[in-house]
Amino acid sequence: MSANHEDSESSQTAMTSKPSASSLPPPEKPNAIQTRFGVVAAFWAVILFLGFPIWWKTTSIYRAELPIQEMLDWAGGKSCRPVFPLEIRFDTPSLPDLEAQQLLRITQHTLDDLNEFSAHHLRLKLADEEAQQATEKADTALTVRLLAQDDLSSPRSLLDADTTTLDVFYPPSQIPPPSSSISPLSSYIAGELQRLFAEEKAIMAHILSNNAMGANVNTPQSPNSQAQQQISPQLAESITRRLRRSMKYAETYHLAFSLFTPGSAPSSWDIESAVQAYISPLVQVLSPISNFTIDTQVQLYASFSPTTPPPEYDETQQVWTLKEENLSAFINAAEWPLNPSIGSGPTINFILYVPAPSQSPLLVNEGKATSWIIPQWGGVFILNPPSIPTSESTKGNPPHLPANALTPAFLTFSHQLLSLLGTPQTPTSLPLRLQTLIRIRAATLLLSASSTMGSLARLTESLPSIPIPATVASSVSATLSHLSSACDSLRQGRFMAALASARVAETEAERSFFEKSMVGQMYFPDEHKVAVYLPLLGPIGVPLVLGLVKEIRRVVVGWKARRG
Amino acid sequence: MPVDRRKAAVFGGALALRLLLLLLFPSLPDLLTGRVEVSTPVTSFKRLQEGLFLYNRNASPYDGGVFHQAPLLLPIFSLLPNAQEYPFPTALFYSLVDLLNASALVTISDSAQAVSGRLYSSVRKQIKWDGVVVAAWFLFNPFTIATCLGRSTAVFTTTGILYALSAAVQGQNLNSMLALGFASYLSIYPALLFIPLVLLCYDRRAQRSNITPSTALFVVKHFAVFLLSIAGLLGISLLIIGDLFALISATYGFQLLVPDLTPNIGLWWYFFIEIFDSFRDFFLGVFWLHLTAYAGSLTVRLRRQPLFVVTSLLGIFAVFKPYPSISDASLYFALLPLYRHIFPLMRYTFFSVSALLYASLLGPAFYHLWIYAGSGNANFFYAITLVWSLGLSLVIADTIFAALRDEWEQENPDQRGRPVKQV
Amino acid sequence: MSPYFGLLRALPFLFFLFFAVRVSSEHTSNWAVLVATSRFWFNYRHLANVLSLYRTVKRLGIPDSQIILMLPDDMACNPRNAFPGTVYSNADRAVDLYGDNIEVDYRGYEVTVENFIRLLTDRLDEDVPRSKRLGSDAGSNVLVYMTGHGGDQFLKFQDAEEIGAWDLADAFGQMWEKKRYHELLFMIDTCQANTMYTHFYSPNIIATGSSELDQSSYSHHADNDVGVAVIDRWTYYVLEFLENRVTSANSKQTLGDLFDSYDETKIHSNPGVRWDLFPGGEQEGRLRTVVDFFGNVQSVEVEKTDADESGSLKEDLVELARLVEKWRTISQDYAAAGNDSLQQDNERAPSSYEVKRRNLGPVKLAEETPWEKRLIGLSILGACAAIWFTGSALTGSMT
Repeated sequence: MSANHEDSESSQTAMTSKPSASSLPPPEKPNAIQTRFGVVAAFWAVILFLGFPIWWKTTSIYRAELPIQEMLDWAGGKSCRPVFPLEIRFDTPSLPDLEAQQLLRITQHTLDDLNEFSAHHLRLKLADEEAQQATEKADTALTVRLLAQDDLSSPRSLLDADTTTLDVFYPPSQIPPPSSSISPLSSYIAGELQRLFAEEKAIMAHILSNNAMGANVNTPQSPNSQAQQQISPQLAESITRRLRRSMKYAETYHLAFSLFTPGSAPSSWDIESAVQAYISPLVQVLSPISNFTIDTQVQLYASFSPTTPPPEYDETQQVWTLKEENLSAFINAAEWPLNPSIGSGPTINFILYVPAPSQSPLLVNEGKATSWIIPQWGGVFILNPPSIPTSESTKGNPPHLPANALTPAFLTFSHQLLSLLGTPQTPTSLPLRLQTLIRIRAATLLLSASSTMGSLARLTESLPSIPIPATVASSVSATLSHLSSACDSLRQGRFMAALASARVAETEAERSFFEKSMVGQMYFPDEHKVAVYLPLLGPIGVPLVLGLVKEIRRVVVGWKARRG
Repeated sequence: MPVDRRKAAVFGGALALRLLLLLLFPSLPDLLTGRVEVSTPVTSFKRLQEGLFLYNRNASPYDGGVFHQAPLLLPIFSLLPNAQEYPFPTALFYSLVDLLNASALVTISDSAQAVSGRLYSSVRKQIKWDGVVVAAWFLFNPFTIATCLGRSTAVFTTTGILYALSAAVQGQNLNSMLALGFASYLSIYPALLFIPLVLLCYDRRAQRSNITPSTALFVVKHFAVFLLSIAGLLGISLLIIGDLFALISATYGFQLLVPDLTPNIGLWWYFFIEIFDSFRDFFLGVFWLHLTAYAGSLTVRLRRQPLFVVTSLLGIFAVFKPYPSISDASLYFALLPLYRHIFPLMRYTFFSVSALLYASLLGPAFYHLWIYAGSGNANFFYAITLVWSLGLSLVIADTIFAALRDEWEQENPDQRGRPVKQV
Repeated sequence: MSPYFGLLRALPFLFFLFFAVRVSSEHTSNWAVLVATSRFWFNYRHLANVLSLYRTVKRLGIPDSQIILMLPDDMACNPRNAFPGTVYSNADRAVDLYGDNIEVDYRGYEVTVENFIRLLTDRLDEDVPRSKRLGSDAGSNVLVYMTGHGGDQFLKFQDAEEIGAWDLADAFGQMWEKKRYHELLFMIDTCQANTMYTHFYSPNIIATGSSELDQSSYSHHADNDVGVAVIDRWTYYVLEFLENRVTSANSKQTLGDLFDSYDETKIHSNPGVRWDLFPGGEQEGRLRTVVDFFGNVQSVEVEKTDADESGSLKEDLVELARLVEKWRTISQDYAAAGNDSLQQDNERAPSSYEVKRRNLGPVKLAEETPWEKRLIGLSILGACAAIWFTGSALTGSMT
């Protein structure tokens, strides 16, 4: 290609300068010189006016402007200090206003004294006070209903498991007198509240401290870390483990329910009604946190992998048992079709294993349990159905598992789902725990999106050859704006809104970091560039430059001749 | 009107030959349509049929990403019966287009612009083939026949270019611009011929009426006509397709950005397969610039022979286009016989002709070895396309050299016949 | 009242948790990225290397979904293979590595530098299936094994391109930034392999290679019936260690043991190990067990039905059962609380990150309407002809 270029080029120039080689060179005519000048100028015009802009445009790496400092601030925890002001409503139907307020004040005071972790604190409000502030209403975390009960010597409380209400029964005598600054009732209520939110507080402290430390080692100790020190190492350890067990956050989770059995029965189960009855409600209440899809499958003749230690027969209890340390090999990953290839997002596997009649009943741990959780993966439940006699006088599994047989399994799966999503284990009220989960998720997402921002900022600075397309910049700005709105919502105690913003922020942050076009040319040594440009510069550049030099020399000589 | 017997014989013979080939080898058209040497992604008849199918069913022909040709072809081809069931009418149509092209060539040749124009008259103008011979060279060129039977839509671009030239030499400047507009509308690159063509028109104009019009005004006027014709065609296309963005990106975007690297006889595909991705855009620019750079400089150098500039540019396009096929070479070879008078001045005729023959015989063989037999690899075929391009480039360089030599001899009559050395 | 009041009351169940769960190593999942980079029959041994490793990690429990296997060529179906459908890494041909259960994630020409880097950094198209993604996170131990032909600080991919040590280091750097691994074991068997990990800068990486700068890595032995070398030396001895000493997923063999087993007289080159990126350096790194990287961690948590503590399975079950009974009312209550704010956000959210892509919907093919189209065709032809002849007629007036 370039060879020909040179060829035609040089043949042209050669034609005009050729006579010098012949024995009788006729003088070059002025219009020949002009023509030659024209040819050289035409080539150079194309190169200068089209070639260089194209070179500049196509070989420069586009790097959109990113708010690096702002991103680093978010990652370093300088832009937002997540706080969790929980609003607790006091419902005092039997108390006069003044006394109620007095009780409230004292309780709040006691609570503040008790609280050692400033980011997470409880704010008490009277029920009727709340009606006045319609705007910027914070989510109510808990309603405390004070009920007088005459036959009590000391207060007692009852947490309603279905709603977010704590009923406190107290002897009417314990209402604090208006002047007092301490009362056993308020101490009791404060203690109860503190207990209810103890685990949440510990988890929050753990998440916040861990992240601030992990993301930015050089910053001075964040205020959260002092709270960390007050948590016993065992608690920290167990929280760490729990957090590690729970699934990584995803916009969508796929729940896969699988029935495995080593034989040919049971070959069907009432899965639809079971899912409808046990899983759907849970999915419904979890909907603010993530989306869920549900898939099911039945796999017959599912055998253990050859390396799995077989269950052992326990003579005393007449059961087959699996050793706890062997459970990790229970799933035959090579052969059981559990590969999570259902759309985007992680799959949570729930396995219902029906053992062969010859190995039934099958239990774990010397007959104490039938289910276990595999961290970040799913749960397993061993169902030992009542065996039915078959024609060959051997025991057999029923061919169909009706809905009532599935009840324990699916309740367990619901429980496992909650655990795998990181739901705390106290208090006993499920709605309260889900609210806690919302706060935990909001906090984790806020932190993870912030830390992604920091990673992206550092990446941008450390790899100068990586292109940054404009979409990344827009994703980053969307992330930052949602982060700050999430932070604001947290401060106002609107945790649902905070979670919603944090979810968007997380999605945008992930999108910006994993932008597809940011791979490009990561490392390109200079010798490669020479190899790329040499074929250009050699055959095309040399004649062009020589032509230009010749022309310039001619012009200069002519100019000098005219002057001299 | 007296019927020129020789002309009738040549044209009739050419038509008969094409139809005979079709009758004797009914599978030949489909075979040729599938060959990479004949059909490129932007001229393939197969792809046209796909577009036609969608178009006839009121879907956008560009859906599916197969069809990349100008939309005007669609309503025109919808006039013809389905080529799958009735191949004959389509073949006849293509043969007639070939004859049309040949008649344009006859006009060009008869105007004798190739040997003597306004500014220049060759000293060898007596060595010349007349129009019928030139037409015969075109019509019986195996490349032309293969293109015709392969039903490549490149023949319409050829028609546009040839009629632009024939109108220009006849002094029909307006038509010349319209035809060039048509050709450019079909496949962009003919727009680069505008500069030499408008000079040709200008020369003819100046030759006829002795008053020479202002060059700048003349060029601007004709450029406006050229643009208007393209705009008009695009307007009609827009009426047909409706979605301008889809239209532009599927046709011109496809031709300019070269996303389809199917092997062809050109140089682009292999290079762009191999180049580092980050440099793709840059080299896309370089390759296109390289193509355009010749238009200006050749025109400057050979200002006195604009028709020769057009011919040489067509040769250069046949080598350096993104999707070249043998139809481009056949167009170049169609115009070359106009320059019979400079053949004696060419120095590497034997070498270049044998390189071309070698490439055209071995090319299909190596392609077979690579794609079907699996016993060769891409380098086999690419090597052959290199030889082919080398052969063509040699012809181009050689003719340019010969033309320059011819000019030089005209300027220095005393030096005629002296051996020259290139320095 | 002690400030620990609340905590003390909360502790029992936490202690329960603590003791119920066996203390396991730090990481929570295992991923393996096994890459061969060379094509063609005479590179049989590279694919055998990688398939042997694949079998080993699978044997030690990493599921296929967490193994990314990249095979640039298909030796089993190569026409020159005298034993079609099989790949062996030993002349005794005892174990068919191909077997009937092998999941190749990237194969043939998909094995490119770009795809490899995209895999590591997860910069993949949205529609790339999960089986082709490295889904590791901050708790994952990742094993990266590469084999092919290399040189000083590069490894050739597919005879066409190469990955530089810098690229690899940057890819791991990005993985670390995005917390895509907890600890990473990098193994490479190629000529001058040790040069490949010299540029690494991210923490928590242990790297080992088969040969030093200016040293070749040699094949171990050839199978005369297969006709080519079937395995490389270093991989052979690593495998020997894994096969003979790491017999189960509970093996306590450490990385120190593995690296000590390198015998330069057998390997014919000097394998290298890089510890300095690992916190605690060599001392700490040597204590990592082999199955930390080659096996799959599954510290299962058994749920006992007889435990009474709060948050235990039993209590949860009761609660869930209650939830099931009353879920309708609850969900209404619950949804009402947060729906307002949530819905607003949901409505706003999609528009902000809507993918700007022209979606081609399905198009209905109408019946063929030839006459209409032909009319258009005719009129266009007519118009063109008219313009052409007008042009000829106007020629005279055009100056």
